Amino acid sequence: MATQVFMEALSPTMEEGRVVKWHKREGDAVKAGDTLAEVETDKAVMDLVARADGVLRQVAVAEGQTVPVGSVVAVIAVPGESGGGQTAPASAPVPAVKGEGGQARPAPARSPARAAAVVAADATRVKASPLAKRIATETGVDLKLVTGSGPGGRVVKRDLEEAGRREKGEVRGAAAPPAVPPQAPLPSPISPALRGGAPYEDVPLTQIRKTIAKRLATSLGPIPHFFLTSEVDMERAAEARDALNRQLGDRGKVSFNDVIIKATALALTKHRACNAWFQDDHIRYWNDVHIGMAVAVDDGLITPVIRDADRKALLDIGREARELAEKARSRRLQPNDYTGSTFSVSNLGMFDIDQFTAVINPPEAGIIAVGAITSKPVVADGQIVPRRRMRITMSCDHRVIDGATGAAYLKTLKEMLENPLAMLL
Amino acid sequence: MTGRTIDVIEAGLVPYGEALEWQRSLAQARLEHRLQHDVLLLLEHPPVVTLGRTSHAAHLLRPDGLEVFEVERGGDVTFHGPGQLVGYPILDLTGYRPDLHWYLRTVEQALIEALAELGIPATRRQGYTGVWTSDGERKLASIGVHVKQWVTWHGFALNVSTDLSHFERIVPCGIPGVVMTSVEREGGKGVGEGSLWDHTIAAVLGGFGRAFGAELRPALAVTAR
Repeated sequence: MATQVFMEALSPTMEEGRVVKWHKREGDAVKAGDTLAEVETDKAVMDLVARADGVLRQVAVAEGQTVPVGSVVAVIAVPGESGGGQTAPASAPVPAVKGEGGQARPAPARSPARAAAVVAADATRVKASPLAKRIATETGVDLKLVTGSGPGGRVVKRDLEEAGRREKGEVRGAAAPPAVPPQAPLPSPISPALRGGAPYEDVPLTQIRKTIAKRLATSLGPIPHFFLTSEVDMERAAEARDALNRQLGDRGKVSFNDVIIKATALALTKHRACNAWFQDDHIRYWNDVHIGMAVAVDDGLITPVIRDADRKALLDIGREARELAEKARSRRLQPNDYTGSTFSVSNLGMFDIDQFTAVINPPEAGIIAVGAITSKPVVADGQIVPRRRMRITMSCDHRVIDGATGAAYLKTLKEMLENPLAMLL
Repeated sequence: MTGRTIDVIEAGLVPYGEALEWQRSLAQARLEHRLQHDVLLLLEHPPVVTLGRTSHAAHLLRPDGLEVFEVERGGDVTFHGPGQLVGYPILDLTGYRPDLHWYLRTVEQALIEALAELGIPATRRQGYTGVWTSDGERKLASIGVHVKQWVTWHGFALNVSTDLSHFERIVPCGIPGVVMTSVEREGGKGVGEGSLWDHTIAAVLGGFGRAFGAELRPALAVTAR
């Protein structure tokens, strides 16, 4: 199958483009993504990129020549094939080529070709909505590689958006158990077991479950985790929270979770080494602190982000956390709501879990797992007294955080929680 | 909030060839989605002449031993040297508008806003990409860009305190008779104690943030390789 290469529009108003340089010659082997030629308009030069593998045939436009948008400038043939003429759609003739300064009027722009600047001849078999085709062209997505969810497997806009997000690694759904308690028992996609029926039930993976599977496999496997646990005295935090809530009256309530998110963020400002992303060949140390907060949703979990949590008031954190959790449960989170966190918190205290380890949400370097607050007998000033205590466990990516670095952070976090006044300093 | 973030890398004085490699690898990383955010590289070059894709040899009058690069940006010949703030935005335009004309006009807008903040009224000139003094007579900034799969590189060069005599060696931008000027020569100044250079950088960052509707923030430990 031959693929025609068309003059692309560099902007919606562009009617013609000038080929300023060919990077490939007739007979050269090309791979999808290779730059074939450069096209110029105004002070901008754009690469014309191959959308298929093959051999470049029939270079129809010379360097310096100007042709209307939608014109065929070359054909990519599979090796051994002579050219694209016989396989080209009848509706795409090669328009006359106009030299620089020539008087020939641009050929009337054919609207499908203008919108779809580069269309593989064999892509016509892909079922897709017109909007999806346009988005695919604009973003350079190969429709053949996209699974359609429309009627009859038709590719629709949301499939492309989904594909784009996947490609950009923006579906950062899963990290760890939820920080915010589900308000009602979560509906399960699994029906109650029917005794005496089939011995098992196969449930296809939902999109979110696939994402969780994929993302967690990129975490605990490849990331060398280690874990640090510390027990925190929450007595004063509890007193401070109660006092704050009394002051606030009906203006709002602050939860332990809000206090923990704020303290986690503030402690990170003092330990920037832990507020980082591990990336292939570098570590990005963030100046801003954006806390991902694991939230349980139907059949999964997601980590919406509280941005600049270190600089927000407790009451604002609380309000935002509740809004995000609500949006998460009703599936109304926008990508912006759940991307870009620099560190995460996961809280299973409401499930009476004393202590657990959470799985890092890549590319972040750490996550705090928060257990339940329980009253324990503690020796204080030589006497045994009941104190509210909570265990927190930090999971660290050893590629970014070393043992002592993580321990120093955890110590600061513990001090902040034990002396909530420190959070105001 | 749009959620668009541009990581700003202030790289200081960087030889042209090295910065070109950075740009190409950053752009490649961006279009392969290995870079999370768009990037704005801000730097200065040691004296160098570059020829865009539409350069005419006759526009390079006296190279005089200056290094000359022929590169893949749009536009004609230009000069870079100390005192000139060079900005290379590596932007994925699919996150904004896949429209190169919009992009060129928006870079101009960002610089016009920056210059306004420095007290210099500046404008566009129909048919001549770049930023000009309000009477359209003197050129403050040149623009030349490249894009692959809607990821941009190359960018703008704003004369802050550039030794403008260097431009006499070329026909800048291929426009005979064009007069180049600088922020310093036009009497630009910032508010406060900082240097004109620092004020200009701050103004350019502000201009980009507003023109592109993006949050610009300093990026650390982002390396080109």
